Amino acid sequence: MAGIVGILAFDKIWNISKFLKYSLMGLQHRGYTASGYAVLNDKISSGHSSNPPEDIEINDQGWIGIGYTGNKEEYPLVFDEVAMVIDGIVKDNPSSIAEKILSNPEEISKVRGAFSLVAFTSEGKIIAYRDESGLKPLAIGGFGFDMAIIASEMPAMSVIGGDFRREINPGELVILDRYNIESKKLKEPKKSYCSIEYIYQARIDSFVNERSIYELRIKIGEELAKERPINADTVIGVPDTAIPFAVGYSRFTGIPLDLGFTRTGSPIRTMLASNDFMKIVGVQLKLNVIKSAVFGKRVVLIDDSMVTGTTLKNTIFSLRKMGAKEVHVLIGSPKLISYCPYGVEVPPSSELIAANLHDEDIAKVLGADSIYWLSIEGLYKVIGTKELCLGCMLNSYPKVI
Amino acid sequence: MKVLLIGDGARENALAEALSDNKIFAISSFINPGIKSVVERTGGKYFVGNIESKEFVKEIIKQVNPDFGVVGPEDPLFHGVSNAFYEERIPVMGPTENDATIEKSKVWMRQLMWKYEIPGRLRFKSFSNLAEAAKFILDYGGSVAIKPSEQVGGKGVKVVADIQAYLSNEKRQALSKSVDEIGKYVSDNEIKIIIEERVDGPEYTLHVLTDGNSYLPLPLAQDYKHAYQDGIGPETGGMGSISGSKNLLPFINEEEYERSFDIVKRTAEAIEKETGEKYRGFLSGQMMLTDLWGPTIIEYYSRLGDPEASAIIPRIKNFGEILELTAEGKLSRAKLELNEEPTVVRAIAPYGYPLNKSLAKGQRFFIDMQKLREEGCILYFGSVALEGNEIVAQGSRALELVAFGDFEEASKKLDMCMKYISSDRKMIYRTDIGRTVKEMTEKAEIVRYSYKNREKHGILGVSADWSPNGGLW
Repeated sequence: MAGIVGILAFDKIWNISKFLKYSLMGLQHRGYTASGYAVLNDKISSGHSSNPPEDIEINDQGWIGIGYTGNKEEYPLVFDEVAMVIDGIVKDNPSSIAEKILSNPEEISKVRGAFSLVAFTSEGKIIAYRDESGLKPLAIGGFGFDMAIIASEMPAMSVIGGDFRREINPGELVILDRYNIESKKLKEPKKSYCSIEYIYQARIDSFVNERSIYELRIKIGEELAKERPINADTVIGVPDTAIPFAVGYSRFTGIPLDLGFTRTGSPIRTMLASNDFMKIVGVQLKLNVIKSAVFGKRVVLIDDSMVTGTTLKNTIFSLRKMGAKEVHVLIGSPKLISYCPYGVEVPPSSELIAANLHDEDIAKVLGADSIYWLSIEGLYKVIGTKELCLGCMLNSYPKVI
Repeated sequence: MKVLLIGDGARENALAEALSDNKIFAISSFINPGIKSVVERTGGKYFVGNIESKEFVKEIIKQVNPDFGVVGPEDPLFHGVSNAFYEERIPVMGPTENDATIEKSKVWMRQLMWKYEIPGRLRFKSFSNLAEAAKFILDYGGSVAIKPSEQVGGKGVKVVADIQAYLSNEKRQALSKSVDEIGKYVSDNEIKIIIEERVDGPEYTLHVLTDGNSYLPLPLAQDYKHAYQDGIGPETGGMGSISGSKNLLPFINEEEYERSFDIVKRTAEAIEKETGEKYRGFLSGQMMLTDLWGPTIIEYYSRLGDPEASAIIPRIKNFGEILELTAEGKLSRAKLELNEEPTVVRAIAPYGYPLNKSLAKGQRFFIDMQKLREEGCILYFGSVALEGNEIVAQGSRALELVAFGDFEEASKKLDMCMKYISSDRKMIYRTDIGRTVKEMTEKAEIVRYSYKNREKHGILGVSADWSPNGGLW
């Protein structure tokens, strides 16, 4: 999973470098271990980093640029006349993709993979494409009369004062330059929206895959309350993504919502951390329990997903240490039981606790009084469509790549 | 009757059609195919010349001896073309040169609104020194709109919302650069730059007809200023417009319409007090519903807006008659006969518009007029000239296609009609005109929360800015 951005200023007096940086920070939740940019002025200038975008320094100036935040240190890919960034998986050689962009962008529809792509050419065009599955989001917006913005998600636009206009449709190619914005349907959509986007990947202030994310996550919390009511004193969501689930659960049940945690440092996703030690350090450093929120209380603890369970085990331990009487765990996603071939960092099933143990045993391992996952039916009901990829939950994949 | 029409765009084409019960004479700076068609059909005569030259127009007036005149665009008004008619004692639809200052000078307009305490005014500051303007921008990174002090057809406007403090330095630098660029557009005026407080909300246009004594508000219209699809891109004069249903727009209510009318009327009266000359013709409020005031003036036009005119004129069955009554000072007798059905207008521009005028010149268009009519669309010719048998772009918006129906239905008609228009190069047009009404309605609802609350607390229109170096503004 990655965040990608393209910005084009209609007047060359603009230097879009800082806009690019802050846009990428607005997409940091999609991946942050590597970031990079490319800008165009007289020539293509670029930079790569093994740091989050907030640590990146863009000294190059330009009126058109692209950016990347994710886990690939080689991005953006820069050729003589093209620079590009990709979210997802492509099976074709990047240089052949670059060639297609230069000669006939419509040839991008032949690229094998599941991806969204943003590129610019040295003649000042931005090319953006979202493949027909729609597995990777992509949207278009503007900044007043001055800029066009293409980005994975809406926050990349709003954090720099721009406006989201609409999502790019699956199978749609968009070509922008100073003189026009052109849209072409290259392929009929075969929508297979990533369920993980809805559950925890997209930012809560986002509108992704035809849904308002915050609203949808509230509904997931409400659905959890219908599926698994628990007699408890307080509801706590694990920051940040699971808090809306807790809000929804609290609203539906009337159980008061508490802030159970405060954070130290930047919002590092423990699932994305690169090794076991970093995961544990990430957990312990990240979340400090607020004692008065949990002391003597029966707690409903809601998280957005569970991979190995390491995060939750340590969190529950901390809650009990601060005096929680009971800890009932709810997970806002159905069980993750299989890998993701499209670029979401879901490990193979051998590393997924829900694919290996029964619920009761999982509860024991975690030290929880009970555990429950949102049902597949519940997820379908909340999202309101079945045009979804639930590959990591059902081990059945919508697109062969 | 004989009518002499001044202008060469789609608005004038629409006016010519509306007046075509009369014998139409016209002056354009190039041969507009649509105007030419009406002139020939009605047995008039077509003159090509400098529409901004008072002397040239006066010569044509003497030759034609029209019963009344209609001046379409703003530049002839700024150059006193209406005065030519008055001096020849010919009734004319169009304010005098002095009265047209309301559009020509944004500074004059703001001063007038403040002096006469007209609602919907905005705080402003004017600069003759570009360095001082740049400094002001750096001091008040807070939301401002920078404009050339004189009307330059919508060019050079940069509106920046500086909500995110961490970006303010970058935006201020860009704004400072743009000040120099804007200053170029205004060459013969000491005041170069006007900086206004920035407001946001749904935009709309209210055109008011006046003969100096009576006032007739026309149905509202909204234009779409971004050049490209999805409302993204540089500013233009308007890539399309909508009007209706009835007098309103879906996101403006009756009360707001009445208030808007009151603002424009009070402005016309203030203009007369200030210049000593009755305002006659169109006074058009380019307005926005804002949280500060509700109905708010962004700009005035001393004419019909284009492409707003193409959305409004076909909806008024007796528009020609009303123009005649206005010119003759008998507007109080006019009764507007409105087709209540809404309209959607799609402008079609040559490639390169609006950023590169030379690139936008010379493009050729091929049109099947018969098929367009069969599909239920009206076509007005804008900035295109008939050269031999070819329709050639002159650098601005070339064509305006109009369809009736609810906005979605009309938009579909326009989609159908696009098949019968082609070009030797890429055409620039938007298919989303009239398709963002829901967003506009939501935006209107949001600003209503605020302005009604302000009104309730007696602070309608009250605002201020402060900065360490600049102090309170």
